[in-house]
Amino acid sequence: MTDSRKFLHRSATRRDLLKLGGAGAAIIAAPSVLRAQSKGEIVFSSWGGSWEAAMREAWFDPFTEKTGIAVRSVPGNSYGRIQAMVESGNTEWDIVEVLPDFQWIGAEKNLLEPIDFSVVDRGPIMEGEDLVTEYSVPQVLFSRLIAYNDRLAPGPQSFADVFDTEKFPGKRAFYTKANGAYLEAALLADGVAPADLYPLDVERALAKLSTIRDDILFYETNAQGEQYMTDGQAAIGLIPDGRALNAKRNGAPIEIAYGLSFLTWSSMVVPKGAPNAEAAMQFLAYALTPQAQAAIAKAYTYGPVVPEAFEMIPQERAEILSGGPQMRDKAILLGEKWWGSNLAAVTDKLNAWKLS
Amino acid sequence: MTEKSFTWRAGGLLLPGLLFLAALFAWPVARLVATSFSDPAGAFVHYERIFLDPVYIRVVGRTMALSAEVAVLCLLLGYPLAYQLNRSGPLGKAIILLCVLIPFWTNLLVRSYGWIVLLNPQGIINGLLREAGLIEGAVPLVYNTTGVLIGMTQIMLPYMVLPLAAVMSRIDPTLPSAARSLGASPLAAFTRVYLPLTMPGILAGLLLVFMLSLGFFVVPALLGGPRDILLAQLIDFNINSTLNWPFAAALSTVLLGATLALYWIGDRFFDLGRLWGTR
Repeated sequence: MTDSRKFLHRSATRRDLLKLGGAGAAIIAAPSVLRAQSKGEIVFSSWGGSWEAAMREAWFDPFTEKTGIAVRSVPGNSYGRIQAMVESGNTEWDIVEVLPDFQWIGAEKNLLEPIDFSVVDRGPIMEGEDLVTEYSVPQVLFSRLIAYNDRLAPGPQSFADVFDTEKFPGKRAFYTKANGAYLEAALLADGVAPADLYPLDVERALAKLSTIRDDILFYETNAQGEQYMTDGQAAIGLIPDGRALNAKRNGAPIEIAYGLSFLTWSSMVVPKGAPNAEAAMQFLAYALTPQAQAAIAKAYTYGPVVPEAFEMIPQERAEILSGGPQMRDKAILLGEKWWGSNLAAVTDKLNAWKLS
Repeated sequence: MTEKSFTWRAGGLLLPGLLFLAALFAWPVARLVATSFSDPAGAFVHYERIFLDPVYIRVVGRTMALSAEVAVLCLLLGYPLAYQLNRSGPLGKAIILLCVLIPFWTNLLVRSYGWIVLLNPQGIINGLLREAGLIEGAVPLVYNTTGVLIGMTQIMLPYMVLPLAAVMSRIDPTLPSAARSLGASPLAAFTRVYLPLTMPGILAGLLLVFMLSLGFFVVPALLGGPRDILLAQLIDFNINSTLNWPFAAALSTVLLGATLALYWIGDRFFDLGRLWGTR
């Protein structure tokens, strides 16, 4: 209903303009046109690149067509910048896409607007602990999973294999930050049951990590992780599924072990003082419709957070997506809330381990 | 500048620059330092963490050690370069300067990825060595401290070469010849005449390279291994990942303090101020 009201309002403005016509009238109308424009735009801060282009096609342009609200996307969605904007009272962004730890870090620092769930329907969103919070909604699903170079280390099937450098020689590519799922993988390889992962036994995980210490290549960015795999610098990697699929699509001999994977998500938040928070809520509502979720899953290899969307996605595509039929029952949901409050402490321990 | 030469007119010319520095440098730095003491749990909690948790002391130590290694490597490579730069004709000078400065002007990421292409186990250098039959497997040149040293030394080289060349150009070229004619061996003429005369340049170069290296961030992250954690990376983590700005400010203050202390030592004992023409 809000959408149609917006639409009517916009066409009324246009009709008024047409009726008025003429140079003098244009001058009189100019301020109201400007106002309408500034009211009708949201700024979306994103990770940029091909992902931003996919969102433009699947979300931004259709949303603008439907509501008349333009979406301007800007790069540089760092947590530090959100804090700097909010603290200086000069918030320029309406929506920011973030990793899920920020759902709690950002809320704790009082940097976020609560989500208006009278506009955003959380009903169809996938069940799962903490996917939705008072201050965030999930955006898309992705996985951190085992990718391997078919020539260098063919056929690892479990996390135990990832930690077995005798059976599968070669370097392992892990994300440099502590929450890149390799501590979880180490515990699973060491015999911990998936249900007992959290709170993580960090000491035990690091002890397991020590067994392959000289074979770990830490990657700083996901692009670098993909590069390690493509170049054959690493034989096995724990990398995002989209990166593994991309390497494979580009002709690298990379395969994915779908046996067991870590499922996580990206989130969308509205920073405190967002200039157009109301329109931002409308956008979130739109992006979480099954149609929009199916559209983004077709445009980019991320899984929809609304299960209904799979009904609109071709089977062949669904197979490779996070949350899709191939991975659904075998995926472990990462304990992002636990990470939200433990990232700093675990990072200290991990750094001590790296330096030792 | 001496006291006498100060005039109000000159003071007026200084004013815009001073205001600029005050507003955009001194004030933010003061705010940063203040932030580091601003935790409700106590003014010194963050400093306690830095100085009591062995991780941070180790990182501070590693940052200092690595910066010192880069400074020494720059000296070893830069001294002959500066010497040759000083002796060459215009064309030779231009070539040496270009070789030193072009990497310096190249984008940091591009240059770092360039090193990865050259140095990685499947990379060009290891490939050539394998084909020549000199090695089997690969020499680990990157994703370890070696990689960081190579990458940082390349960038920092101009900061060594330029002050050295400036000092060398002021040395009377007849002095080493005079030493030789008085019976000194070439080695003695170098170690007892030329080298001591270039000492101010050596110290200035070492100090510049060392202090600038303390803040390095991208190069160790890309070319280093797990052990190559430097202070700037921890500052970034606390600013952008956990939003613990007071702690990041405390780490920055420690880095700033170390830099100022070293500058003071350099100025006090090695008279760096004169070299840079400030007295």
